[in-house]
Amino acid sequence: MSDDMERWSNEQVALVDLIDRVIGGGVVISGDIVIGIAGVDLVYLGLRLVLAPAHEVEESVALRRRSA
Amino acid sequence: MLLYAVIPPEATAPDGHGLANHPLETIRSALAAMIVEECPDRLAGTNDESRTFAEILCNLPATTPLLPIRFPTMLATRSAVLAELQANETAWSKRLDELRGLSEVVIRAQSPSSDRELDAASRRSGTSYLEGRAATLRRRDASVAEISQLVRHWARETKVLPSQQGIRIACLVSPADIPQLRDAVLSWQQAGDHGEVVVGGPWPPFSFVVDQEAESA
Repeated sequence: MSDDMERWSNEQVALVDLIDRVIGGGVVISGDIVIGIAGVDLVYLGLRLVLAPAHEVEESVALRRRSA
Repeated sequence: MLLYAVIPPEATAPDGHGLANHPLETIRSALAAMIVEECPDRLAGTNDESRTFAEILCNLPATTPLLPIRFPTMLATRSAVLAELQANETAWSKRLDELRGLSEVVIRAQSPSSDRELDAASRRSGTSYLEGRAATLRRRDASVAEISQLVRHWARETKVLPSQQGIRIACLVSPADIPQLRDAVLSWQQAGDHGEVVVGGPWPPFSFVVDQEAESA
């Protein structure tokens, strides 16, 4: 593999890791939603939205199943 | 509003535009501030958007400590952003102080021989496959321990990240120490059969927004 090819490849690998961190790391914000119709509040939901790469979710589910 | 990062309240507001081509704005509370962008439409969360979001954060002045917000987080109004700031400002302010002057690098190590051995073992029998898998996990744990030991001089904190292939370790380091850390990791790679090793970064501390004691509590 030439130096240029290797550098390009390493940059791509690092970019994949950076994107993984953007959607898998960072501060998680909690939120609240009130669902209503015609101005009448019907349902209140307290939410903790977590976005994560699929492999992290799979790993977390597998861990929970093993410990259950 | 699309949320980008938490910064100290006294930090200079960033110039430039965000993903939706609106100016980046800063909403401040007493102890923390948040970089946001008016973003009327929902984002699709594509790779291109994620990359642009990352570039915007990476291009913020390195002297400004920041806590990146997970992409794509949106809140409906400025008052919702301010309420979120006020609810969390004490913890965020403390963490910003701890992260001042530090960046994240990610070390990825992948031994191609592990995959080949496992593939060959799986063709022989189920038992061979399981033995091969156990050996791969033992090698993985040994590599994690070696790298963690190797970077301990420079990394204030480390975190093993989930990985389907090989290992990934995030390190919180001072940018001035990154060349030495990179050299040490590459020397480790050349000294043994450790396959491909890539050191990515420096980036904002995506993996260290919460200190590990608080995270495990």
